[in-house]
Amino acid sequence: MLKNLKLAAVLTIFCLISAGALAYVYNLTRPMIAANSALSFKRSMGEVISADSFTPGSQGCYLARKGKETVGYVFPVNPAGYGGAIEMMVSLDKGGKVIAVKIISNKETPGLGTNILNPKFLKQFSGKSVGDKIKAKEDIDAVTGATISSNGVCKGVRQALELFGKVKP
Amino acid sequence: MKLLTELNRGLVGENPVLRLMIGLCPALAVSTSAINAIGMGAATSFVLIFSNLVVAAIRKFVPDQIRIPIFIIIISTFVTIIDYVMQAYTPELHKSLGVFIPLIVVNCIILGRAEAFAYKNPVLNSVFDGIGMSLGFTMALLSIGSVREILGAGSLFGYPLFNQLAAATVMILPPGAFITIGFLMALLNKVENRVQ
Repeated sequence: MLKNLKLAAVLTIFCLISAGALAYVYNLTRPMIAANSALSFKRSMGEVISADSFTPGSQGCYLARKGKETVGYVFPVNPAGYGGAIEMMVSLDKGGKVIAVKIISNKETPGLGTNILNPKFLKQFSGKSVGDKIKAKEDIDAVTGATISSNGVCKGVRQALELFGKVKP
Repeated sequence: MKLLTELNRGLVGENPVLRLMIGLCPALAVSTSAINAIGMGAATSFVLIFSNLVVAAIRKFVPDQIRIPIFIIIISTFVTIIDYVMQAYTPELHKSLGVFIPLIVVNCIILGRAEAFAYKNPVLNSVFDGIGMSLGFTMALLSIGSVREILGAGSLFGYPLFNQLAAATVMILPPGAFITIGFLMALLNKVENRVQ
């Protein structure tokens, strides 16, 4: 009995030391990690629309500005794909037409679903607006062998267009 | 002299990847390019050397029955530290290595060296054993990664060497990893037979 208690005590001490060390490193690196992800977020926005600066707007969107003029909107959306959420960005011009779509991260099947990254597939969304169907196998050519992943991206674009409707009544 | 033996062991005679054939999962999965191989090698080396050091330092206080859980706590602590540090300082590399950084925890080279060497040997010997094994692992990864990147993508460390259309994509894909490691093992055997 006493022996078991001793074992538990030793294990607890090791866990405490480990937790302390991790808390220290976490606090040390957290600001840099946050800055990195903010930077890559901003860089991704720059890839879907050309603008000087981005300011957060309503409905989770970002207003893309050139000088003081708003030239478009960026919507980060996370629709469900085949293997989990597809993290993506959709940029719209002032009239609500899709400019570009970028996939930030995805957990789709390598070699099949990951082909949603193919520019040929993503370019199909450019110029679409809220009146379009935006459905795989209808007005969008699905990625071969990855209908669910393709549908996920379509859903993301539709979400962005819906949100745009709420931003500008 | 003894320390040099500890160092040498991991390089050729007991090279973890090409000889003992352990730690193959990260070795095959991440070695798609030379830079990935170096990144994975460096991260694993950090964990391996420090876990060997700590395990050797505390071996007298660790009760035999719970040594494995304690090894795992030590290893996972170092893995989480390197995970945070890479996220902070090398975000691009961290992204391309992905899930294989946290998976260093279950890399059998590290637990294997803790159990088979560091738990029974003094600190300095264990550190040298860790350095030797790390170099052996990193060199194996780098040779696999370089061969695969040259043949599969037509580049080395990202610098284009020849027309990419002539590259054999299969070398970047999983089968290429198995083909490469097979040839490298054969080469190492041949060289060692020659030497003897």
